[in-house]
Amino acid sequence: MTSQTTRTNLFGITFPKGRVRRLLPALLTLVALVLILLICGTLQPRIWSQIGFTLIFSPIVALAIASMAQMVMMSIGDIDLGVGFFVGMVTTIAATLLRDTPVFGALALIGSVLAYAALGAIVQLRGVPSLIATLGASFIWLGIGMVILPVPGGTAPGWLSAYVFWTPPFGIPVPLVTMAVATAITWWMMQRSGLGVRFRTLGSNPAALARAGGSLVVTRMLAYGVVGCLGVAAGLALTGEIGGGDVNAVPGYTLTTVAAVILGGGMFTGGRAVAWGTLAGAVTLGLLTVLLTLLNLSSNLQPAVQGGIVIAVLAGRLLVERVAR
Amino acid sequence: MNLRALNGMPPWAWSFLAAVLVLILTYGISGQGDGQTITLALTVAPYLVLVGLGQMLVMTAGPGNIDVSVAKVFSLGGLLSIAVAESTGSWLLGLGAACGVGLCMASISVIAILLVRIPPIVATLATSLIASAISLTLAQGFQGSAHPDLRAFLNWSPLGVPAFAVVVAAFTLAVSWILARTVWGAQLLAFGQARRAAQFAGIRATRILVVVYLVSGILAALAGALRASFSAPNVELGNDYLLDSIAVVVIGGTLMSGGRAVPLGVWGGALFFILLDGLLNLIGWSYAGQNILKGFLVLTVLFLANGAPLIAPSAASATRKQPLSPETEPDEAPHE
Repeated sequence: MTSQTTRTNLFGITFPKGRVRRLLPALLTLVALVLILLICGTLQPRIWSQIGFTLIFSPIVALAIASMAQMVMMSIGDIDLGVGFFVGMVTTIAATLLRDTPVFGALALIGSVLAYAALGAIVQLRGVPSLIATLGASFIWLGIGMVILPVPGGTAPGWLSAYVFWTPPFGIPVPLVTMAVATAITWWMMQRSGLGVRFRTLGSNPAALARAGGSLVVTRMLAYGVVGCLGVAAGLALTGEIGGGDVNAVPGYTLTTVAAVILGGGMFTGGRAVAWGTLAGAVTLGLLTVLLTLLNLSSNLQPAVQGGIVIAVLAGRLLVERVAR
Repeated sequence: MNLRALNGMPPWAWSFLAAVLVLILTYGISGQGDGQTITLALTVAPYLVLVGLGQMLVMTAGPGNIDVSVAKVFSLGGLLSIAVAESTGSWLLGLGAACGVGLCMASISVIAILLVRIPPIVATLATSLIASAISLTLAQGFQGSAHPDLRAFLNWSPLGVPAFAVVVAAFTLAVSWILARTVWGAQLLAFGQARRAAQFAGIRATRILVVVYLVSGILAALAGALRASFSAPNVELGNDYLLDSIAVVVIGGTLMSGGRAVPLGVWGGALFFILLDGLLNLIGWSYAGQNILKGFLVLTVLFLANGAPLIAPSAASATRKQPLSPETEPDEAPHE
């Protein structure tokens, strides 16, 4: 074998070690996803239809896109603890300003993306940990969202509802289309564009990026801007799903998205972008809720089972990784 | 103003400076300088300080270490301690039960982190999910109130100084002493500064991580038990304490990247937050406005007080932390 890469032996076939390390976690998550889906399908055969799929996947769309945002954040080595309230704030803007005065609404959304980029500048220039900077910002998102809509309300813009209720041909469920498009764009940006290379370099070796002539501040601001854009997209998806705005709709996203990225094979240290893995992670976590509902489990116990399964999946990954080595 | 001189301030001073500033503003606006404001702040602050001290120890253990389960463990501790105290008639047993459940919850985190090698933020997230499930089950049809003796103690403030605050202050000093004077304290700081070097020097990761996470869990549950005795137990009692505990610790000067713990700063940060809430209530800001201002203030304090000097030593610094000092070097993957 002439290849210089270290190889690892898995089930009798050899693979480049780096690729295995990158893809294995996502693959395991995918197995868990398929298992959960099969169990759901056995319990309730009616989900095997366009309507069934639309119903079980539509609550997951916003989570999947928000997880993409978290994935971009983690690829540069940062963590976003404000994404839950940011998505909530976007729903309040979308359900009021964007519907009544589309121009102002769009400006507000652009403004919030710029605010995210400014946050990136603070993190870079002052060496503030991203965790705490985004945490501070989350208070601001929460406050703004409460100013716009003190109580949940508003209505989703017409075009957004029209899209959510659209029935594509060939029996394809809309949520799958949305998730696949969002993931494909993120994947292309992170793996195939120069921007993605700069983001990943910032995460794995910032000194190298600086020596190669890239500006750390600009790169981090761009990355935060992308996170903001994805956050806005997630917020719009959520508005279409819940049909209104509520800043407190999904505070749990903050930590669930982190779990989704980790399940998808992401790392806290940065440098690794796993768009499709993150999608698998987010869908797995979302489907768990569906499964637990189908199992008629007391809603009080659901969080515990969810926590247990996250630990179990990660423990399984550790086992398989040991075997693969 | 000479900005360079500001860099020489002790790390905890910033939080107290901010707290005093808010206090002066409060006095200026209310037009009366009585000790009532301080007494009230000192009555509410200790709970946040207890949670913060645990969070501080966890963060000191190095990059990536954080305990996001404190909020749910806090609520669980509160519910359980009231339930146990109600059925046995002894508040001491109630507090003991809270400590016990905190220990159990933290054990789950520790096992997940050390044996399953799950990153702490996900491991403690799983723990918090489990804790919240137990709380929700426990809270069904829950009725109970705090033991009168304990409540009386928590409300007792001779000469305007709450006795409970004095106890927690003494505990804070004890934590400072442990960090500064004992072998374990030195090991924790060394471990947080450079994990690999510390391990080469013979410091065992388990010894550090087990202790910090267990202490954090116990403190969160205990603080929850006391807070529930002070007001009333509730599933959502702890929710504010997660973000607040992290913010307060960092505002207090503890390094998020580990290796520097500032127990005194936790007090400053907690007083700052609580006085700020009081001030905003005083001038009649809505909860929404309070959150916006709180966010901006947290960012401002971070902007002014964080580790990087206000004036960079040289423009050539390539990384966002000073590249030459070993303790701020970007660490290798700590949980790989």
